[in-house]
Amino acid sequence: MEVAQAQQAIYIQGFRALNTFMAVRILIVDDHPVVRHGLKVLLGEHPGWEVIGEASDGVEAVDKAVTLDPDVIVLDVTMPRMNGLEACRRILQKDPNCEILVITQYDSQQMMREALACGARGYIVKSNAARDLLAAVEAVSQHRSFMH
Amino acid sequence: MKLRIMVADDHEVVRRGLVALLQAHEGWEVCGEAADGREAVEKAKQLKPDVVVLDVGMPNLNGLAATRQLSEQDPRCKVIVLTITDSDQVIREALDAGARGFVLKSDAARDLVAAVEALQRNRMFFTPRVNDMVLAGFLDKEHGGARDSAPRLPQLTPREREVIQLLAEGKSSKEVATVLNLSTKTAETHRSNIMRKLGLHSIRDLVLYAIKNNIIQVQLSNQTPRPEQESVPSGS
Repeated sequence: MEVAQAQQAIYIQGFRALNTFMAVRILIVDDHPVVRHGLKVLLGEHPGWEVIGEASDGVEAVDKAVTLDPDVIVLDVTMPRMNGLEACRRILQKDPNCEILVITQYDSQQMMREALACGARGYIVKSNAARDLLAAVEAVSQHRSFMH
Repeated sequence: MKLRIMVADDHEVVRRGLVALLQAHEGWEVCGEAADGREAVEKAKQLKPDVVVLDVGMPNLNGLAATRQLSEQDPRCKVIVLTITDSDQVIREALDAGARGFVLKSDAARDLVAAVEALQRNRMFFTPRVNDMVLAGFLDKEHGGARDSAPRLPQLTPREREVIQLLAEGKSSKEVATVLNLSTKTAETHRSNIMRKLGLHSIRDLVLYAIKNNIIQVQLSNQTPRPEQESVPSGS
């Protein structure tokens, strides 16, 4: 019995470690370069995650989602040319397996509902990004929802 | 010796971006970070940075009021103001408060390093619009100020500027007194003086005044952006 429990504990620990270092390929989309820079620094703190590209508006995000095939897209809402919600819809039409985390300045239930309706898996507010970003990317990369 | 820089912005993700940008420059170190103007002033007292990069729209004490206090506290300390707008009024107040650099947040990734380099060489750094305004101001003086028709704000003392921000953020006179280490009576006197100077009659008027004059910034919360829409001011 004790051996079986020990084996199970080792299995769980191994699974967690594997999960921690599971490679996640991320595309960052925000029209402000300093914000993209900050997001990149935060995401770089997680071992195994890789920021494979950046985009500064919705149109560029849709193009890069097709060419780079990221696992997760961290997507701002308010951007020039095409906003994040529209980009979210178009990206998921082309690749339903891609997971999208919306990151916005709007702390609003209505906006959250709209993001979900567009297919986003996660929603966080920019002012809490430093606190929520890693947990949110981890959740959506495992196809779990993250709403704050 | 390394140039010591302090960064103040209420959004941690923006702060991280700014810090990474500045740390990447050889010979510079970020010696401290602050999440509002008051914390920036306090930390600058202890850390004595050479340069402070200050966001304008911060809670508790905004970047313009903090610039004024930093300049008075340590005239050697050079301040770069980061702002989402280069409106005439913000430019005028930033210059008046003693800022040596003025960078738009949207251009920070491009301009911030150049701005710090300029200050390191004892020069100033402004956006093209600020340069135009400074030049226009100089020409006005040359011509006896005939073209200086822009309305000026009533003169509030630095303390009154702090009080108006805190009141507009929803604090009571008692809470203002606690934050500023004053008696409630003194806070109330500041409040009446502000209302009188500005010709305001209610706290609603005061909040509107604070928003209109960039003393506080409002985050929009219940609007859906159109499919094609530029970033709204809080921008980060």
